[in-house]
Amino acid sequence: MLAHPHFRPSVRTMGLRIEMREIHKVYPDGTVALRGVDFRLERGEIVGLLGENGAGKTTLMKILSGLLPPTRGEIRIDGRPVRFRNPADALREGIGMVHQIFTLVPPYTALENILLGQEGSALWLAKDRARDRVQRLLEETGLSIPLDVPVELLPVGVQQRVEIAKVLYRGTQVLILDEPTSALTPLEVEELFRFLRRLKEGGRSIVFITHKLREVLEISDRIVVLRNGRVTGEIPTIEATPELLAEWMVGRAVVPRVSRSPRPPGEPVLVVRDLEVMGDLGLPAVRGVSFEVRAGEIFGIAGVEGNGQSELVQALGGLRPIHRGEILLDGKPLPPLAPIEAYRRGIAHIPEDRLRFGMALNFDVAENSILSRQWEPVFLRGGGRLNWPRILTFASELLQRFQVIAPGVRAVVRSLSGGNQQKLVVGRELTKEPRLILAVHPTRGLDVASTAYIRELLVQMRDAGKAVLLISADLDEVLELSDRIAVMYEGKFLAVGPVEVFTREEIGLMMGGMIPEGRAR
Amino acid sequence: MRRARPLLESLFAISIGLIVGGLLMLPFRYDPLKAYQALFRGAFGTSHDIMETLAFATPLMLTAITFAVGVRAGLFNIGAEGQMYMGAIGAVFAASLLPLPPGIHVVVATLVAMLFGALWSLVPALLKIWRGVHEVISTIMFNWIAFHLAMYLAIYYLAEPGRAERTRPALPTARYPILAEGSTLTAVIFVAVLFCIAVYFVLWGTRLGYELRLVGENPEAARYAGVRISRALLWSFLIGGMAAGLAGASQIIGRPPAWSLYATLGNVVTLGFDGIGVALVGRNHPLGGILAAILFGALQHGGRFMEYHAGVLSELVRAVNGLIVITLAVPELWAMVRRRWIR
Repeated sequence: MLAHPHFRPSVRTMGLRIEMREIHKVYPDGTVALRGVDFRLERGEIVGLLGENGAGKTTLMKILSGLLPPTRGEIRIDGRPVRFRNPADALREGIGMVHQIFTLVPPYTALENILLGQEGSALWLAKDRARDRVQRLLEETGLSIPLDVPVELLPVGVQQRVEIAKVLYRGTQVLILDEPTSALTPLEVEELFRFLRRLKEGGRSIVFITHKLREVLEISDRIVVLRNGRVTGEIPTIEATPELLAEWMVGRAVVPRVSRSPRPPGEPVLVVRDLEVMGDLGLPAVRGVSFEVRAGEIFGIAGVEGNGQSELVQALGGLRPIHRGEILLDGKPLPPLAPIEAYRRGIAHIPEDRLRFGMALNFDVAENSILSRQWEPVFLRGGGRLNWPRILTFASELLQRFQVIAPGVRAVVRSLSGGNQQKLVVGRELTKEPRLILAVHPTRGLDVASTAYIRELLVQMRDAGKAVLLISADLDEVLELSDRIAVMYEGKFLAVGPVEVFTREEIGLMMGGMIPEGRAR
Repeated sequence: MRRARPLLESLFAISIGLIVGGLLMLPFRYDPLKAYQALFRGAFGTSHDIMETLAFATPLMLTAITFAVGVRAGLFNIGAEGQMYMGAIGAVFAASLLPLPPGIHVVVATLVAMLFGALWSLVPALLKIWRGVHEVISTIMFNWIAFHLAMYLAIYYLAEPGRAERTRPALPTARYPILAEGSTLTAVIFVAVLFCIAVYFVLWGTRLGYELRLVGENPEAARYAGVRISRALLWSFLIGGMAAGLAGASQIIGRPPAWSLYATLGNVVTLGFDGIGVALVGRNHPLGGILAAILFGALQHGGRFMEYHAGVLSELVRAVNGLIVITLAVPELWAMVRRRWIR
């Protein structure tokens, strides 16, 4: 048999031994993602890399796969130091990564996608020969893929297999999977796990990035936990317990609670019953959620991102259709897909990504100060004309009242810092005289001062008798601000209750998908 | 200051364009200074020249609106050409066949032309909104359909008896008054300028315009703001269609000596496409478009003088003009690329 240069059949000691030492990563914008991480990977083992959002899991693996250069630190393969300039370098060393977002060309067949970018155009002529090699790879690894179907017609689980096959076809000995189960059905997860074990037996090594405790306990041989850019724990999986992992994941720091007036909450403002909302892939993202938010309370939803929080808020804000269930605001149902009606009824929405949803960067401050309020009669004159004098006054009031530092109301918002942009959005929303405030990641990426200021504003709103629904991937933020909390996992609430009744460890467990003993709901 | 910046950039671009054009003339042993002097004198030397320059500018400021209003809503609407043909046909029809009293006749002919232009833009608009058909594809196809349809109508239904090379001329009651003896500039320029100002007002002074621009800047933010995106897109197409229709009318009932459409469409052809360049030079702004159209008019009218006063070959004149236009379009092209692909 002719040995293909990139595809070596797996026998005996195929794997590599990888060591990463003292890896630091500071992003160009100053964000510190990794603060000295050591990581090693043996031949033929599956390592679970566990952590919350922003813990640094993905960054670490992007460095290992050549996608990002480390700021400091070294990588050794079988004791030999290496430096990757790009993913191709890493692939040459046998390291490949499958990302959360697929990189397939939808109208191309699975085979074409696997071959794409492999050996230039000459390969298209030798597609049949290549097909044999792909066929052999699939047999060896036990992947089943219909090779001649355009990938856009394949279910997500199979698309992922194509993505994996694409990486393996390049002779990968170290396979890195970033949250591979997030879009899969339970059955597909089972299949993926079977396949991963088989790869391991063939001598390959696998890094499995996840936040799901049950999965990491099931599939891995060893678990490494990251928190805030540091390794907080490392343990062979047989010795690990969910409680221990959860504690490593979320830490045990006691969060100082923001001071607030101790008044009992009022009547329910928002009532959600058995809500089901579909995600972008057509699968249920919110799967039967019921809760209420009362006047004068902050209801916080904790959870790792991507567990249905975005879809939930979009449904509440009238931006996403409701599949089942109902949303009542002040006792009356909220019509679906009618954002302006939602605003009119008293919903203020601080959206999850201000650059994507919350503002238009090339509009000026005044124009952004009426974004989502452009229908309000105060800002209009007869005949649909904008009342510019009033808009300009309003914008300058916003700047003053919410401490937004900007060159002026006519300055393009692009020229403002992130913190000031967010204060503008928050100010615009809070001045809507709302009944209910939807605040999603309200302080993400902001400096300490802006963060503190915005949190204080939210508590002021609560004290003023507004209902606040806070969704944040930052557990500290949820614990610091909320009166009651829920933990969201895979589209469901694992627990709902006053913030005091949960220990941090319990919340960590639930964020990883485990229900602590005595907490079954 | 913020508003003045695009203007300064454009002035800077003009000087670059003039310098590069001059450099292009040097190897052919022309004196750039003399040539530019002839160009300027030709375009603005006498009041007659100024009026001719403005006559050339009139349709261009309108077809520039079509493109600019599209870009403002995030569209790449290059259908001005076809919509302009249909406007011209509408104008011929209303101006030559409907017997109406003076005064009213001009107004009706103008409105019919705008309606024709708007209707022609409606199909690509609905295709975009209902089926997601990209407007570049549909408007290009509709340009061709309009071209052949207009020619067919001009030859078979609207031709002047005995003079098959052109349509029936507009009745005197439907003609815009000529502004000065011997000039081709008519009062239609006032309508054109008013239209540009009105579009400016709509874009920056109304909720509709705000929503339309928001859709162009950030469609997801527009959705969040409760904007009905399809409605905003529809209006962008319709305003553009009206502008292009008016541009077509301006060449029929607002431009002597023909007062009619040539069967080859020779007196209107390319005015729609030129509008794209005018819009880019005018920074996709309705008022900037007026200035840019005057510049284009000046290059067109003054270019002739460069030919016979400075003796510059006509091909070279066109090359130099093209260079100036390209350098002028660069700032806005760059801005559009940045908005779309670099965030």
